[in-house]
Amino acid sequence: MANDMEQLYAARLKRYVTAMRNGKPDMIPIRPFVAEFTAKYAGYTCQEVTHDFEKAFAAARKCAADFDWDAVVGNMVYVWTGLTQAIGMKYYAVPGIDIPADIGFQYLEPPERKAFMKPDQYDQLIADPTGFLFNVWLPRVSADVSATGEATSYRNNLSFLKGGMAMLNYFNAFGRQNALLRSESGTVSAISGILKAPMDILADKLRGYIGLCLDLVERPEKVLAACEALMPHLTHVALSGADPEKNVPIGLWMHRGCVPFVSREHFERFYWPTLKPIIEEIWSRGHQVLFYAEGNWDAHLESFAELPDGAIVYHVDKGDIFDVHSVLGKKFCISGGIPNFLLSYGTEQEVRDYCRKLIDGVARDGGYIMDAGAIMQNDTKAENLRAMTEFAREYGVY
Amino acid sequence: MSESREPKPSPGVCIPWEEKSKELPKISGDEGLVRKVWEDIDGLAYTYIWQCLLSF
Repeated sequence: MANDMEQLYAARLKRYVTAMRNGKPDMIPIRPFVAEFTAKYAGYTCQEVTHDFEKAFAAARKCAADFDWDAVVGNMVYVWTGLTQAIGMKYYAVPGIDIPADIGFQYLEPPERKAFMKPDQYDQLIADPTGFLFNVWLPRVSADVSATGEATSYRNNLSFLKGGMAMLNYFNAFGRQNALLRSESGTVSAISGILKAPMDILADKLRGYIGLCLDLVERPEKVLAACEALMPHLTHVALSGADPEKNVPIGLWMHRGCVPFVSREHFERFYWPTLKPIIEEIWSRGHQVLFYAEGNWDAHLESFAELPDGAIVYHVDKGDIFDVHSVLGKKFCISGGIPNFLLSYGTEQEVRDYCRKLIDGVARDGGYIMDAGAIMQNDTKAENLRAMTEFAREYGVY
Repeated sequence: MSESREPKPSPGVCIPWEEKSKELPKISGDEGLVRKVWEDIDGLAYTYIWQCLLSF
């Protein structure tokens, strides 16, 4: 590795980590979550970066090399549909197969009557979450996997073999990708490991949102017990993928646990009491968690403020970043907040003006990382992203 | 669930060593080695299903 590239990497890592610890680095770090934008920029279709992860990796590296960014995710088009198709997963609409080739992949939530977990199956999940996933959930979400008691099949057997080998192939490739980001452009791999809240998992992949909302009223004790049963497993998975150097955070992808998807009472009874202990456990082991607060979680900022100082990085999507800063800014680093519609449909000057307002409002004392509110798809204008980057470098020097 | 076991497997485990070891003859060699390799590979299966749930 060229010495100057290694020096650049070290400077960027120090800048990024200092900000995440709510400190004041030499300048505001830039860590854009660029997903299908990378395809458009690098000349690929959404199908190419979704179905061929080597193209997704190449697109991410091209963006990292061409833009002056401190950290990126090795592949923010996070679902490799080559794997999901190989194991017969039903819940994705795949670009180029189910939807046009230049539309980003879609998650297809089944109607309540076809939920992947039935309302009378809570006890099974609570008794043995891992067994439930293998024996009940996987046969429902895969067209190829046979349910327990059914005749096995060639497709069933192949699903496990192909799925296991493909997943190892994919995850192992991230090690090489991260090394190439470092050696080619001095770019830091932004996160390591994955976490989701127990209640979000119930809503996303098991009962569905409608089903969960019914259950919160009709069988609340079962919902709470299921969340509690998931907690140790989600903690284990998060820690098993965490950065051994304890530099970069574990990503927490927050979906529908907030007002108005659920009531404040439901957040306080189910969502937060089964997420907060996970965050505290992870922090006790020295790892930060990036709260990717997709949507608007402003109704719950006081709850998040209960966490130990520095335990999280709080990413703002549609929330009011100035309110967030006033409530959480003394405790945690904040990231994001540049509206995606501005990056897609605004002018370069409008982007610069908003960046100035944001930096003045939340970043004067450090503890801020520049990014859009949500992951950037292929409607993001390259010239606007470049304007955001260049302005942050000009105006974001401490 | 008909295939649920007691005690339920801990995080990181699909089939506990204690359950598997009952199926084996008396181990004349290094039991710790056999256990470690069993648990390491068993953990890969655990990773597979939980990553299917979380990441895919």
